Amino acid sequence: MKIAVPSVIALALAASFAASAATPADTLVIAQSIDDAKSFDPADGFELTSVQAFTNLYQRLVQSDPQNPIDLKPTLATSWTPGSDNRSMTFTLREGAKFASGNPLRPEDVIFSLSRVVKLNLDPSFILTQLGWTKENVDAQLKKIDDNHVQISWSANVSPTYVLSLLAAPVSSIVDEKTVTAHEQNGDLGNKWLALNSAGSGPYQIRKYIPHEVVLFSANPTSPAGAPKLKNVLIKNVPEPAARRLLLEQGDADIARNLGADQMASLKGKAGVKTLAVPMASLYYIQFNIDANPVLKNPALWEASRYLFDYKGIANDLLKGQFQVHQSFLPEGFLGALNENPYSYDPEKAKAILKKAGLTNVSFKLAVSNQPPYLDIAQALQASFAKGGVKVEVQPGISSEVATRVKAHQYESTLNAWGADYFDPNTNAAAFAYNPEDGSKTLAWRSNWHIPELSKQTLAATAETDKAKRVELYEKMQREVQKNSPYVIGMQARNLVALRDNLKGYVQGINPDMVYYSQVTK
Amino acid sequence: MAVAEHSAGSSARLFWRRSGGALSALLSLVVTLLGLLVFTFALSHLSPVDPVLQIAGDHASESTYAQVRASLGLDQPVPLQFWHYLEHLVRGDLGISSITNQPVASDLLRTFPATIELATCAMIFGAVFGILLALLAAWKPGSVLDNVARMISLLGYSVPVFWLGLLGLLLFYAVLHWSAGPGRLDDIWIYTLEPKTGLVLIDSWLSGDMEMFRNAIAHLWLPVVVLGLLSMATITRLLRAALLEESSKEYVTLARAKGASRGRILLLHIFPNVRGTLITVLALSYATLLEGSVLTETVFAWPGVGRYMTTALFASDTPAILGSTLLIGGCFIAINALADALTYLTDPRTR
Repeated sequence: MKIAVPSVIALALAASFAASAATPADTLVIAQSIDDAKSFDPADGFELTSVQAFTNLYQRLVQSDPQNPIDLKPTLATSWTPGSDNRSMTFTLREGAKFASGNPLRPEDVIFSLSRVVKLNLDPSFILTQLGWTKENVDAQLKKIDDNHVQISWSANVSPTYVLSLLAAPVSSIVDEKTVTAHEQNGDLGNKWLALNSAGSGPYQIRKYIPHEVVLFSANPTSPAGAPKLKNVLIKNVPEPAARRLLLEQGDADIARNLGADQMASLKGKAGVKTLAVPMASLYYIQFNIDANPVLKNPALWEASRYLFDYKGIANDLLKGQFQVHQSFLPEGFLGALNENPYSYDPEKAKAILKKAGLTNVSFKLAVSNQPPYLDIAQALQASFAKGGVKVEVQPGISSEVATRVKAHQYESTLNAWGADYFDPNTNAAAFAYNPEDGSKTLAWRSNWHIPELSKQTLAATAETDKAKRVELYEKMQREVQKNSPYVIGMQARNLVALRDNLKGYVQGINPDMVYYSQVTK
Repeated sequence: MAVAEHSAGSSARLFWRRSGGALSALLSLVVTLLGLLVFTFALSHLSPVDPVLQIAGDHASESTYAQVRASLGLDQPVPLQFWHYLEHLVRGDLGISSITNQPVASDLLRTFPATIELATCAMIFGAVFGILLALLAAWKPGSVLDNVARMISLLGYSVPVFWLGLLGLLLFYAVLHWSAGPGRLDDIWIYTLEPKTGLVLIDSWLSGDMEMFRNAIAHLWLPVVVLGLLSMATITRLLRAALLEESSKEYVTLARAKGASRGRILLLHIFPNVRGTLITVLALSYATLLEGSVLTETVFAWPGVGRYMTTALFASDTPAILGSTLLIGGCFIAINALADALTYLTDPRTR
């Protein structure tokens, strides 16, 4: 013990010198899990961490207004003119716009950026291939008119407004062709290099990235968006939410992301900290595989289930503010979102519906990820369904295993979350209300739900140019799915974020990519 | 001549015996690692998770799916896939991880030093305090000291390391400010440190910035103590039992009859005789620390191989799983071999 005491004291003393370092004044320090980041190449990255980075590293021709996301603002393009054929658009590029490397923005950069997405054919490429672009035809669809005009054409039957929505998605980020091609390896169009580096015109650029540890952005003062207010953004990997909370409380982090309801509850009212619950474009729903057994095909079961989901109990009591009740397939904040919630928990009504349909002793298996909050919600559903006489057998598994089983149609029902891929109502319509029987693996396909009429309506809505008419079409489809589908859409998630209260100018929107660091001051 | 011939013959035999021993040890190492790989490879292929979907994503068309499947070599028969894996392995190529998109070898080179640093420091902590506690306990069995040592080791053994880590952070980081928070360095230092060895203590020392070095210690000591308590508990428990067993032997009674003091007997007679057990316990403990520090690494945001492996397991990232299994398996075998050699060298009874 004689040795022990002095060594512990020595260690503690050494530690106490440096333990209370605050975050540097010119740096925004964010604690979150970055374990998901696979690539920072906008043609490849489709995970939360990389998508959140793209808006800060890159710019697109058009982009959502941070304050009002439905409104698309000219960004690297100053204006655009639709072609007379309704299948093309000519963009005027911003004059004097430069990449972080100092290279000027040229039509060639736009053509290179968009075509490489299609040629690389990686995860997010489906967003642009909706325009009818393929590896073979994409070069012909993108044309340089002169030194600051570029024409974009498409063969699919979609309206120019829909095309603009797709061009505002992170995958349409414009990269610096000269820098990227200089780092090309074996014809990979710079994919390997861009996975760890950046070559954009956004307010920041990647200065250092150590996978699973830290990513550091430094300011790009020549960004056409203007220089950011803080010099650096440091995102450090802290996988445990309780540790993220402690870092924020101590002032060693300025922002802590993806906290749980427990962490938020304990942070409320703490000095120096403010909390946000930002609605996210992420819906939680039950889905039935209607070919798994005859009961699951019965619309009476679908209807009864809508009265057996304890919406308010789960959103407010179980997951305290982490969710809001939402029952239609477009999340609140999207163009055309229906914010009517006609169903409420009513086991007696559910019993009557099942009785009328002659369904007795109903039971089904619910496949669910063993991660929070899925398992908590599934257990609450088990209890609320039981009160209506429906036995739910919860089958927990690791997320990737559950996802594989669901995609292979090897399930009876599942509780899952669906996030929007880009900021246009079609992203969810094409998932929930579209099953074109051509092998497209949509959510409706996972349910074996055959819907030629709704599929037609989904296509028609993307071709509609009149905004008001488009909204009308989506509202109609949402009501139809809400009333008669093998889904019970119950809740919309909120992103729980906590900030130091000296932070100003932080904006976060509904879509995962809508995270804006450039105006933050402290 | 006869004598010389005899001596030459015996040294040749000794040489062959030794090199033969080394060869057979090497062979058994290769066979063990191969067995480990076959087992892990087979398990990965039995996993219900589809690695192609993990990479290609939800929206992949049939052709993309097939393309990814082919690029991963999954369209070939499993034995052939295994053969290709071995072929690449011989060239030092462990494949590309599907979660980091980087070569598994470079991922392991990045994450393993973090684990080595944490596990080695924890091992030293555990060994020093574990041996000390065991000696104190064996000095007067049944005394207050013994009971305290047993209680500490029981606590270290039974308290979940995850909970202990969070509690430690709350007390020493948030309340007392004796320790720095999760991570290996504070933000200001992360900018400037150029990793040379991957061991933050050494890299920060080499950088000449003593403030950074102190910061590294501030970050390191708490996870080391949390993790070290676990190995301390094991060492105390096993060493105490070995010491007590040894103290019932005749030579101890003899020494006692000769009038040697209790402390002298314990330190000079008994302790050297349990070194075989001690080396084995230390080796096992170290091997467990290298592999099993995933929870500590999660709580303290420590980017080590334990977390890398767990993330890989959840994502069914076969190259990463195989690579880290091989690394950890290799470490186990190496540590065991080292422990055997040490026992052989220090204990003539084992020869």
